[in-house]
Amino acid sequence: MRSPAADRRRPTLWDGAVALAVVACAVFLVLFLRPAQSSAVTAVITLNGETVAQYRLDQLSQPVTLEVTEADYPLTIRAEQGRICIEHSDCPSQDCVRTGWISRPGQQIICLPNRLVISLSGTDAESFDAVTG
Amino acid sequence: MKRFLPFLCCLFLLAGCAAPASSAEPEQAQFFSMDTVMSIRVYSGGGLDAIQAARQEIEGLDKLLSRTDPDSQISALNSHAGDGLQVSLDAEVANLLSFAKSVSQLLPGCFDVTIAPVMDAWGFTTQERHIPSADTLSAAMALVDSNGLIVDEQASSARLERAGMEVDLGAVAKGFAAGQADAVLRQQGVTSALLDLGGNVTVIGAKPDGTAWQVAVKDPQNTSEALCVLSLEDQTASTSGGYERYFEENGQIYHHIIDPKTGYPADSGLLSVTVISADHMLADALSTALFVAGPDAALDFWRSREDIELVLCTQDNRVIVTEGLEAGYRPAGEDRGYTYEIARR
Repeated sequence: MRSPAADRRRPTLWDGAVALAVVACAVFLVLFLRPAQSSAVTAVITLNGETVAQYRLDQLSQPVTLEVTEADYPLTIRAEQGRICIEHSDCPSQDCVRTGWISRPGQQIICLPNRLVISLSGTDAESFDAVTG
Repeated sequence: MKRFLPFLCCLFLLAGCAAPASSAEPEQAQFFSMDTVMSIRVYSGGGLDAIQAARQEIEGLDKLLSRTDPDSQISALNSHAGDGLQVSLDAEVANLLSFAKSVSQLLPGCFDVTIAPVMDAWGFTTQERHIPSADTLSAAMALVDSNGLIVDEQASSARLERAGMEVDLGAVAKGFAAGQADAVLRQQGVTSALLDLGGNVTVIGAKPDGTAWQVAVKDPQNTSEALCVLSLEDQTASTSGGYERYFEENGQIYHHIIDPKTGYPADSGLLSVTVISADHMLADALSTALFVAGPDAALDFWRSREDIELVLCTQDNRVIVTEGLEAGYRPAGEDRGYTYEIARR
């Protein structure tokens, strides 16, 4: 037995409403279900594998200075909105100070003599998985 | 109801268009070993147990190979230099020493596993870096000779012929560790992983989505930027550059990659060399040796072999990428003045 709808040749207002509802759902899904576009950047500072401090760099309104006096070679870390660096270190090599500012997820500053690492992570992933060098 | 059936079907299909759930976070660990920072990220198979096994493997090797650990086998070898004693070693240490000697023969004058006394003279091993006096440097250079390292692989032993000679495996140890850790991870069922052993990047398999890993090469003149990005699977990318460890004196920069011919930091026209190979240990050793060799010799060497690819960054801001990498690479430093060229065989 054929339904009344199958006998009709022209679309009705109801058909239009269904099509519109599908389009509206598609727009809703595209807009609201895609990945978040925020640019959170978190700096985690570890000394000998233990976390000593953590900052949301994108949310810093004032510069922050952290003195890591418990390190073998005491050092000073400076964080500002969106970036962080080792401002001073008593370590002999100074490689960590020369690294300068870092600001993007995936970047690191390493002070080998102190076994201190500053790692950045965040929602704006880099377009690569690792860095050689 | 039939009027709404297509609507419900469409909704069901649209749900599939939603953003994919973020890919599972990898299991990972970061630790210090071999005087550098290392990280292991496992994306599929094995998990934390596999990472722990690989980490133990690397830390075990560090105990065997460290020159600064007085209980290591390399320290034992060095402490018996010149006394005629053939020092017993684990088979893998003897094999590694033999490999390091073979690199000296592959690129004569560009690599020497007995360079340690010169590294000490410059203070690169003690962190108190300085220009050595001419007498100190001359005395240290007199001790550099890999022919004076006698390795007996059958007996798993070695000796150094002259007192004062010392072996330093810094240019090969991370590559060796990468190979051993790679094997351990695979034994544990890992099929997708990424190891970063102090800037030596080893990738296992492909990414969980089946695409190749994207590995950036650091810009030697601006280390927070990438020079280019490579597509890799089941390979190691090892980079050597003067920017890694250096000091400045009287306005001059002195870096840690010493030319065994001169005893001074290599000045071959290169800022960095990246070697890509499925042979992790070879990639590590060659990145140092080819940095000393210079761009022309490095490309000649590449043309003589099938098992390596190179990215060379020259002092005149050229980035030379060998043709085996061409398909999957993308330049990233054009706005910083670099020009890119593909080297052909």
